[in-house]
Amino acid sequence: MLNTIKPRGRVIFAYLFLPVALFVFTVFVPLVAALYYGFTDWKGGPVKNFSGLANYAQLFKDEVFWHSFGNNLYLVAACIIGQIGIAFILVMLINSKLVKLKSIHRTFGFFPSTISALCVGFVWKMIYDQRTGLINWFLVDVLHKYKGMKDAPIWLNGEALPIMLILSIPLIWQYIGYYMVIILSAFSSIDTSVLESAEIDGANGLQRALYIVFPLIKNTLFVCVTLCVAGNMKAFDSIYAMTEGGPGTSSMVMALYGYNQSFKSSNLGYGSTISVAIFVLSLAVIGGSQFLLNTYMTDDYDKEEKRIQRKREKEARAAMKKRMKGGRI
Amino acid sequence: MGSASGVQAVKKGSGAIRVRDGLLGSVMNIILALFSLMCIFPLVWMLYSSVKTKREFNTSVISLPSKPTIENYIKIFANKDANLIGAMGNSMRTTLLSVFLIVAFSFIVGYILSRVSFRLNRPLYVMFLMGMLIPVHSLLVPTYIIFNRTNMANQWYTLLFPYVAFNLPVAIFLVEGYVKGIPPELEEAASIDGCSFNRTLFSIILPVCRPILITIAIISAFSCWNEFSFALVLISNNKAITTVPLALKNFTGQFSSDYPKMMAAMLITMAPIVLLYFIFSKQIIKGMVAGAVKG
Amino acid sequence: MRLRKLLAVGLSLAMTLQLSACGSSAATSSEQTGEEAVATADETAESGSVPADDVEAPAPETSASELAYKGEINFMHYSTSEEAEGNGSSDGFRSCIAAWEEAHPDITLNQDILANVDYKTQIATKAAANDLPDVFLLQGMNTANWAKQGLVLDLTDVIASSPDASGYNMDLLVPFTSEGRYYALPAVSGGTCTVVIYDAALWKEAGFDSFPATWKEVEEASEYFNEQGMDTIAFGNAGQWQMNSCFLSCFGYQYTGTDWFNHIIAGDGQASFEDESFVKALENTRHLFADTKIFNSDFNAVTNEDAREYFISGDAAAFIGGNWDYSYIAETLKDDTEKIGNMKIAVLPEGDGATAYEKMQNNGFGYGLAINADVAGDKDKLDACIDLIEYLTGPSFAEYVGSKYGLGAFYKADFDTTGLNSWDIDLYNYSYVDNKAVAIYDSFLGGDVWNTLNPGLQDLTSGKTDAAALAGATQKAYTAFLAQ
Repeated sequence: MLNTIKPRGRVIFAYLFLPVALFVFTVFVPLVAALYYGFTDWKGGPVKNFSGLANYAQLFKDEVFWHSFGNNLYLVAACIIGQIGIAFILVMLINSKLVKLKSIHRTFGFFPSTISALCVGFVWKMIYDQRTGLINWFLVDVLHKYKGMKDAPIWLNGEALPIMLILSIPLIWQYIGYYMVIILSAFSSIDTSVLESAEIDGANGLQRALYIVFPLIKNTLFVCVTLCVAGNMKAFDSIYAMTEGGPGTSSMVMALYGYNQSFKSSNLGYGSTISVAIFVLSLAVIGGSQFLLNTYMTDDYDKEEKRIQRKREKEARAAMKKRMKGGRI
Repeated sequence: MGSASGVQAVKKGSGAIRVRDGLLGSVMNIILALFSLMCIFPLVWMLYSSVKTKREFNTSVISLPSKPTIENYIKIFANKDANLIGAMGNSMRTTLLSVFLIVAFSFIVGYILSRVSFRLNRPLYVMFLMGMLIPVHSLLVPTYIIFNRTNMANQWYTLLFPYVAFNLPVAIFLVEGYVKGIPPELEEAASIDGCSFNRTLFSIILPVCRPILITIAIISAFSCWNEFSFALVLISNNKAITTVPLALKNFTGQFSSDYPKMMAAMLITMAPIVLLYFIFSKQIIKGMVAGAVKG
Repeated sequence: MRLRKLLAVGLSLAMTLQLSACGSSAATSSEQTGEEAVATADETAESGSVPADDVEAPAPETSASELAYKGEINFMHYSTSEEAEGNGSSDGFRSCIAAWEEAHPDITLNQDILANVDYKTQIATKAAANDLPDVFLLQGMNTANWAKQGLVLDLTDVIASSPDASGYNMDLLVPFTSEGRYYALPAVSGGTCTVVIYDAALWKEAGFDSFPATWKEVEEASEYFNEQGMDTIAFGNAGQWQMNSCFLSCFGYQYTGTDWFNHIIAGDGQASFEDESFVKALENTRHLFADTKIFNSDFNAVTNEDAREYFISGDAAAFIGGNWDYSYIAETLKDDTEKIGNMKIAVLPEGDGATAYEKMQNNGFGYGLAINADVAGDKDKLDACIDLIEYLTGPSFAEYVGSKYGLGAFYKADFDTTGLNSWDIDLYNYSYVDNKAVAIYDSFLGGDVWNTLNPGLQDLTSGKTDAAALAGATQKAYTAFLAQ
C-alpha cells in the first residue's frame, strides 16, 4: 500500500464507479436473480411459483449433480497436475542453456490458449475418433498394436481409459502454454546466480528444481492453482463439444448439468439452483485449496518473511507519521 | 604423479559431462520439439483439411489433399444468411471496444486495489475475484432477462457488458500482481516532486505497466473474439449486429455435417486472431513473461 | 391415418399435374389473384385431378392487397441455408418463405435463422423472458408447458376457419395439443424417423434376398459380415437423441402396442414406463446393442452423421436413421448407379418375443409454426401472421415437398410423382403407404422426460444401468411432468 499518496475518497469513487457498476450489473445481478429463481418452480415462462427449499432439497439428493461435482474435482486435480506440473517441467527445460529455439517453443506452446474451447473440443473429438482418429491411426498403422482401426479403443466411450481423463487431456493441452508463460515470468525474476552456485555445488537438475526454484516461485504456483480451480469448476465448452456429458451422464460436469436442466428439461428454477450451487461450491473449493496450500506449503522461512514484511510496513507507517508531524509534506 | 592423475581425472570428467550434456540436451530438445509440434499440429491439420472435399476427408482424415480446392471458403463467403463480412466488422468493433475498456478498467482498478488503502479495498478485490467463479453457461437465462428488462439486449453495445465484465477479474488480478512488483519509491518520488494522483497514475505508472497491459489486451482480444454463448443469447442473429462465431454457426445444420467446411469456417473465425498472435507473438510472450503475476 | 390413404390414391392415379409450388415459379404465382389461387388449391385437394395446363403454380392464398398490415414480423426458425441443401422439408420451407415475402412487399420479415441446436437454446431463453418472436417454430414437447403459461396463441379457431381446413391432416396436430386446444401448425420436418437402409447386394451375399424380418436372423447375418470385417448395421447415438427417436420410438411399439403410448400421452394412468412391455422393449434394445455384434462398436461415440458414412463407404451393410439420413445418403450415392440401385429400405425387424409386432415406422412433425400470444392485440398483424403460417404449412408447401422429395405435409396435397427419383418413391411408399405409422415419442410430453431417458439409453447400452432402473427413472420424470 502507498503511504505517501492518499487520493481523496471522491477521486477513488470517481475512478471505481463505472467498472464496479458494470461488473456488478453484468455479473452479480444475474447471480442474485438466479438465487431468487432457485426458490421457484419456474419452467421457463412468465409463471414463477414460490416453491421454498424444494429445489435445494432435490439438489442434495440429486446423484447426477454430485457425480458432476466429483467430475469437476477430477478435472481440477488433473489440470493442476497436468497443466501446472507439466508447465513447470517445460519451463525448467526451456530455461536450460542446452535448449535451442526457445522463442519458438514459447510461441507455439501458448498458441492453443488463443483458440476457442469449442474449437478445441471439435478438433480433439476427431483426434479421439475410433476409426478415423489420429491416436488410433498411430496405434494401428505406425505401432501396429492392433490389427485394424475397429479393434482399437473407443476413447470417448471411456472404456480404455477413464472418460474424465480422456476429457482432461484437451483441457490440459489447451492451457499448458498459459501456465508456462506465467511460470516463466516468475522464473525470470529468480536471481540466476543462485542457480549457478547450486550447480557448482553439484546439485542436479531435479534437485535444483525441487529445492531452489520451487520454493522461490511458490507464490506464483499458488496463483496458478487458484486460476486452475476457478477455470475447471465451471468447465463447459470442450466437454459440451466432445461428449455432451456422455456416455450417459458419466462425463457430466456441473455447468453442463445446469445448462441441460435449464434448456433441455426447461427446469429453469432448478437450473438456477444449480448455478448458485456451482458458485458456492467453487468458493468452498477455492477456500479449501488456499487453506491446504497455506497449511502444508508454508514453511518457517515464509512465516519469517511475512513477519519481516509486516514489521517493515509498520515501520514505514511510523516513519510516515513522524514525517507528517514534522510538517515536511 | 598424484597431481597429474588428478588433472587427467578432471579432464575425463569434463569429457563425460560434455557427453552427458549432449545427450541430455538432445533429449530435452526432442521433448520440447514434440511439445511444440503437438501444439501447432491441429492448426496445420485444419489448414490442409479445409481445402479437401468432404468425400476425400471422409476417406482419410490425415492424408494430404490430393487436389486442394478453396470451394469451402467460397461457399462460406458467398452465403447470404451468414453475412460474414458484416459480422467481421461487428466482431472487430465489439472486440476493440471491449479490449479498450478492459485495459482501462483493469489498469485503474488493479492499481487502486494494489496501492491505495481504503475501507472497501479488500471487499472489492474479493468481489472481483469471485467473478472468476461465475458459471456463465447456467446463468444465461437470468442474464438475458436482466438485459431484456433494461432494454439493453439486441443493441450494438450489448456484448460489451459481458465481455468486459467477465474478462475484468483475471485482468485486475494480473495488474494487481504487477503493480505489487513496482517499488513504491517511484510514486513516492513523484509525490515529493508535487505530482497529483491523476498525473502519477497516467504519466508515471501507465508507462511502467505497458507490458502487462499489452498482455491483457491480447488475451482478452482472444476471448472476446471467440465468445459464442453470450452472443447467441443476448443478440439475435440479426444481421446488423451478429458476430463471427455466431454467423458461422450457420454451417452446422441439424442433419448435416461437413467437416472440411466446418474447419474452413473455424479457420475463418480464428484467422484475424491467429495472424495477430503470430505477428506479435514475441511481444505478447515478452509482455506475459515480464508482467504476469508475481504471486 | 387418412393422409396415407389419400396420398396413396394420389399416387396410384399417377397424375400428370405439373406443380412447382414455392420454387422458381414463385414470381409468376404471386401475380395470380387470391381467389383463383384458393380455388386451385381447394380443387387440387378435393378432386385430385387438375389438368396440368390450367395451373402453373399455387400462389399465397391471400394476395398482398388483402392484408392490411404494413410493418415487421419477427420470425425465428432453424432452416439454415446449409440445412436446406439436400434436406427436402427445409428446402421447401425456405422456398415458401421467399415466395410469401415476395408476395407481401409491405411486410418485412425479420428472419432470425439459427442452426437447430442453437435455435433450441435461444427460443427457450426467449420464452423464459416472455419475449418470444411473433412467429416461431414450437417444439412438440414444449407445447403443454408454454400453452399453460399463455405464451403461445390458441390456434384452434384459426385452424377450423382456415381455407385449407378440409385438407389438413388433423392427426398431426396431436403433439401441439394442450387440453384439447391446438397451438401450432405442423411445419418443416415431417417424414419417417426410423428406416433401415441396406445394401441389397451385400445382404444377398450373406444369404438374404431381402432384409431379414427378425433380429435373430440379423444376428446370424452379423456373423457373416463380421468375418468380412464389416459392420452389419451402422448406428450413431453420440447426440443421445438418436436411439430414442430413430430406434426405440419405433421398436418399443413392437412390445407395447400403439395404445400404450396413447395412454402415456393422455396421462390417464393406464400406462406407465414401468409396464412390463416397455421394460421388455428396453431390455431387448440393450441386448441388441450391448450383447450382439450387430452394430458398430462405437455407436455411442459417433453421431448419426458419422455412422451413415460407414454405410456410404461400404464399411457397414446397413444403417438405421431418419428420412433426413436417407435423403443425404441418396444424394451422396446418386451418381453411383450400382450402389444406388442396391440401396433398399426396410422396417425394423421383429424383436425377440415382440408380442405386438407389425410393420411399423414412426412418423410425424416435431415442430409446428406458432404465434406469440401477444400478437393477438394487433388485429392486422395477427392476420398477417396467420396468413404466413397457413401459407408455410398449406398446399404450396405440401406440393413442393411432395413433388420434389416425396415427403408428406400437414396439408394432404396430391402431387405429381413424375419428377421423383425411384428412391424417393421407395421412401414415400415406406412412409405413407406400406407400413403402419406410429408416433415419435419425443414429439410429445416434456423435455425433462426425454432428458432422463436419452442419457439413460447410453448408460443402458454401455452396461451402466439395467432396463428396470431406466424405466423407473423415466417413470419418475414422467410422473413429475404430469404433476405440473
